Amino acid sequence: MKRDISGLLLLLVMPAALIIVMALVQDAPFRDYQELKFTMLLSDNDHGSLARQITDGLKHSKNFQVTDSIDGNPVNDNQLKQLLNKGEYKIGIVIPAGVTAEIVNSANIVVNDISKKAGITATMPIREMREQMYVRLYFDPVSKPAFRTAIGSALDKYITFSCTNILMQRLSMLSKGSSDNDTANKNDLRKIMQGIGVKEEPLNDRGKNMLHINSVQHNVPAWAIFGMFFIVIPIAGHIIREREDGSALRVALIPNTTLYVTLGKIIFYTLICVFQFMLMLCIGLWAMPWFGLPALYPGLHSWLLLPISLSIGFAATAYGFFTGTVFRTITQALPFGSVSIVMWSAIGGIWVPIEILPKSMQHLALVSPLHWSLEAINDVILRNGDVNNVLLPVSVLLFTGAALWVASIIISNKQQQSI
Amino acid sequence: MGLLGPNGAGKTTTINILCGLVKPDSGSAQISGQDCIKDIAHIRYIIGMVPQQIALFGNLTARENFTYIGRLYGLDSVTINNRSKNLLERLGLEKQADKRINAYSGGMKRRANIIASLLHEPELLILDEPTAGVDVQSRAMILQFLKEYRGQNKTILYTSHLMDEAEQICDEVVIIDEGRFIIEGTPQTLIKNTPNCKRLEDVFLHYTGHIVRDGLQ
Repeated sequence: MKRDISGLLLLLVMPAALIIVMALVQDAPFRDYQELKFTMLLSDNDHGSLARQITDGLKHSKNFQVTDSIDGNPVNDNQLKQLLNKGEYKIGIVIPAGVTAEIVNSANIVVNDISKKAGITATMPIREMREQMYVRLYFDPVSKPAFRTAIGSALDKYITFSCTNILMQRLSMLSKGSSDNDTANKNDLRKIMQGIGVKEEPLNDRGKNMLHINSVQHNVPAWAIFGMFFIVIPIAGHIIREREDGSALRVALIPNTTLYVTLGKIIFYTLICVFQFMLMLCIGLWAMPWFGLPALYPGLHSWLLLPISLSIGFAATAYGFFTGTVFRTITQALPFGSVSIVMWSAIGGIWVPIEILPKSMQHLALVSPLHWSLEAINDVILRNGDVNNVLLPVSVLLFTGAALWVASIIISNKQQQSI
Repeated sequence: MGLLGPNGAGKTTTINILCGLVKPDSGSAQISGQDCIKDIAHIRYIIGMVPQQIALFGNLTARENFTYIGRLYGLDSVTINNRSKNLLERLGLEKQADKRINAYSGGMKRRANIIASLLHEPELLILDEPTAGVDVQSRAMILQFLKEYRGQNKTILYTSHLMDEAEQICDEVVIIDEGRFIIEGTPQTLIKNTPNCKRLEDVFLHYTGHIVRDGLQ
């Protein structure tokens, strides 16, 4: 058994890891969104009782974990939008100033009406009812429609509950002097109940130009990345074959060439990945409509997809070199390469958006190069991001590629020494 | 110079140390006064190594292999073409130069392997059992080529199990065993000075014994 530890790892550890990862990843889709807990950013501009009730209700709910201050300071509207735009949070809610006053005014109108019909002279202060006010709801543009709908409905439930509470408080004040509650104006009641609605708004002007995520916007980049990483298989096979047939030895015997030859291969394979990505992009742009699907929206800064695809290609190529270096035979390298890519893709949000994965899996996603690849592309095609937005994921991909390449060189030198 | 020894004597390890493929556990090695670790880049320009393994790209033709390898040595196309043409003729591969290495017989691969190591015209040619597993004709051609090459005032370091080969082409032989130097001299001197020996093989057996050695890779 000691003679083929890699084989044993492939046979036993790999499927075990695959089962765990896939079970975790597929857990969320098997549950309703209502069963999951989401972190929500909240900006309270009202500071009234309605805002307090909404905030408390959300904080005590099993669906939301509310963040209303960062570093001890209350979250403001701009900060909220920025954090959502960066993808650091998935949901944001802004309670506008004056919502409590508005709901109280509406309740007072009803109470005064009831008082009048009951012959009570005391009236509560009122003013003209304003146009409907909205608690504004923001989403990371990557969020799927079903997710948005589920969150919107849950939030609407809390707001309606809070409005009803305020109305009931006012009515209870009145009920001490009159038993004629049935005379309440039904239209005004409806107005109160609808007085504060929930409305989803785009994060910024860029957002007005973009599409909501759809099958094409998710699947074209996601599976293009998956395909790019599958270059690991031919590269690993190629590295092992060169080692077996002696051509790697020939290159090693020629002075000052190993680095250049390896660099040449990395450039070549990276360019193949870029070509592959561009081809998939063309399919998304022009072939998808033939099948009755929407065309891919490439974002306002679509040129960024070129450097992004270069960084993804580099990371994928270096991963192939690493796999080909670590494993001694093609029989070991190929299953590892394919299964590991499936796992990285599952962890990285290619199959299922990571926001609905368990917290532990969301943290684990950060080590998947496919996650950073998808983040970079989503920054461009979903968030209309610019250079600043893609710097982090692109840097992570370049660093990953460089680290894997250096590791391959070190391992290769050690293997050479143990001849 | 023939480097002779039974299986596991350390012939290939010695060659790998000289080529900078393996670092010695202790001690040092030099070629033309250059250290085989510190000055390995320069050493690799002055040596041509023919490994036991066929160190060529199987999917490329012989000519493509030589062009690629020549370019890696920094040679221009004209030089590569001239040298490879000359070597292909001398080793009987000129008609097969545009066929893929994977399609070659064992003997052809061995000959192409030698050509690839000679393109940069090294001062020292190191051959690790260049005739292992080849047919009689190829073996004869390789040995004839090596004799001619030696005649051009070039140095050859050569390892083999075949004592008759060593006797034919080596001016001097070194016998090593278990990683240690045993004896060196011209084949004739060694035969003459070793009791009851008529051939180099007798000398070899005299110093390394008759017990079968099963070398480990």
